[in-house]
Amino acid sequence: MKRDQTMIEKIFSRASGKDVFAGDYAWLKLNLVAMRDFGGPNVVQEYRLAFGDRKIFNKDQVAVTFDLHIPPRDEKVAVNQQLLRQFAKDQGAKLFDVNTGIGQHILMESGMVKPWDVIIGTDSHMNLLGAVGAAGFGMGTTDVAGAMYKGSLWFRVPETIKMVLNGTMPAAISSKDIILHILSVVRTDGALHKAIEFTGEAVLKMPFHDRITIASMVTEMSGEIGLLEPNDSVKDFLDKHKAGPFDTLTADNDGIYESIMEFDISKLAPLISCPHSPDNVERVTDMKDVKVDQVFIGSCTNGRYEDLASAAGILKGKKISNTVRMIIVPATMEVAMQASNAGLFDIFMNAGVVITNPGCALCTTGHPGILAPGETMISTSNRNFHGKLGKGASVYLASPATAAASAITGYITDPREA
Amino acid sequence: MKIRGRGWCFGDDIDTDQIYPGKYLPLTDKTEMAKHAMEGAEGGMDFIKGVKPHAVIIAGKNFGCGSSREHATVAIKGIGIDIVIARSFARIFRRNAVNTGLAIIEMDEPTRIKNNDDIEVDIITGKITNYSRNEVYNGHPVSPLEMDIMQAGGLLEYLKKMC
Repeated sequence: MKRDQTMIEKIFSRASGKDVFAGDYAWLKLNLVAMRDFGGPNVVQEYRLAFGDRKIFNKDQVAVTFDLHIPPRDEKVAVNQQLLRQFAKDQGAKLFDVNTGIGQHILMESGMVKPWDVIIGTDSHMNLLGAVGAAGFGMGTTDVAGAMYKGSLWFRVPETIKMVLNGTMPAAISSKDIILHILSVVRTDGALHKAIEFTGEAVLKMPFHDRITIASMVTEMSGEIGLLEPNDSVKDFLDKHKAGPFDTLTADNDGIYESIMEFDISKLAPLISCPHSPDNVERVTDMKDVKVDQVFIGSCTNGRYEDLASAAGILKGKKISNTVRMIIVPATMEVAMQASNAGLFDIFMNAGVVITNPGCALCTTGHPGILAPGETMISTSNRNFHGKLGKGASVYLASPATAAASAITGYITDPREA
Repeated sequence: MKIRGRGWCFGDDIDTDQIYPGKYLPLTDKTEMAKHAMEGAEGGMDFIKGVKPHAVIIAGKNFGCGSSREHATVAIKGIGIDIVIARSFARIFRRNAVNTGLAIIEMDEPTRIKNNDDIEVDIITGKITNYSRNEVYNGHPVSPLEMDIMQAGGLLEYLKKMC
């Protein structure tokens, strides 16, 4: 009788054509190979050095996304994007230019990502594709160059930690608060090279945008991939974006887990990650004396329509503090259109918010909005490392609701008091 | 396949910033990169001055932990190291070693090997012979899949030969 498997073991078994388990090594057929404007130019250089003008394995399964320095801010960046555009044209690869948005989100919205897929790319948050039930991995230039040529890559099957999220989400709590709570327990190296399976009552009720938030923050625990037990929200998203027929991915009953962790989320309060590590988590109410200079809502972790709508619910009819700058960046053009049609941009502009074009935005230096030494920002992004958004600046990570509430008062503020 | 050379010993938890300091990340020329191999580790400058081609690095646990830079394996290979023996390797360093064709092997008690010992490693069977001390150790070779890539000279060379 066949041994039961975890989700990642099932994906890897199908992609390798044989039954594999944690610790095994295998070559996997890839469904998609992606590179972006950061890292992508190095991949092209290495590809050309090794393979010259030889064709990529399948032009429909290689994508180039521009999401970091868009539109280019200086000549060097422009030259890099020119190089990638030319490569995409020569090879026939799919190009998503500066007018689209964050790569992984664009790939999902283009119907190019399905459950069971194995996808690699140059972005360290490729694993947010776990929201769909796909195995996404951020890889180095050699791996991506080789994968673009061959269409397969070698992997070690990771061990899996099962995380059971019990209870119902309290009203003012978002998935960001949940994942920050988990991060405070697991810490930044607690899932090193592991897969995580999220299951339990809260996951089964979790809408799609919250799944993205959870999956994307697995990187901050050093995990390889986070996969969530699916519900109808996944199917609805895939159908809406014409992903085509797919098999639902669930774990077997008796797969072997490295550990099982249980979390009760029914009594969670809004949480905030303090400088300079994502696992430095406190309750928002305990940080309310901290003055804020800038607020950012967006990123691959919290840049969906629902994230923006959550902020709009708090900002509606109000002005942000005159000591605060606030920047809101939709993840993709689809999100921007939806927000525009729903009147969210009016609310934001009336409140005094700067809205910029879809993309990664204030995840790292390179996008407008960098901080001066001594300044403080609340961000809905995923990392708050020292110096990542300006030398001597402090970054706090929180939910869109906490970020919006703090923009109004000018201090870190519990959204339940907004 | 056997690799023979003189041992050069380092400690536990040698991270990639010790193997290849971050300030040299902009370098792209492999010969230049090799001049900084192990520069940030204790005794690194002596290593750079004194190491002879076909030497063997001996290290403790978790060799290559820290950031994922491929420069680390490229620099070690470039300075003339044919194989690294460690109690264990950090996962990303291990992947990078395989992908760039740097031979690696794990053994349980690397401290039995001392500086300048004459070491021979059979990378397939895992047999490690210390001619200076007349000792033989059982190393743990990488998986057959990794071995194929490593022996081809790295991932891209391997794929070129396959296709």
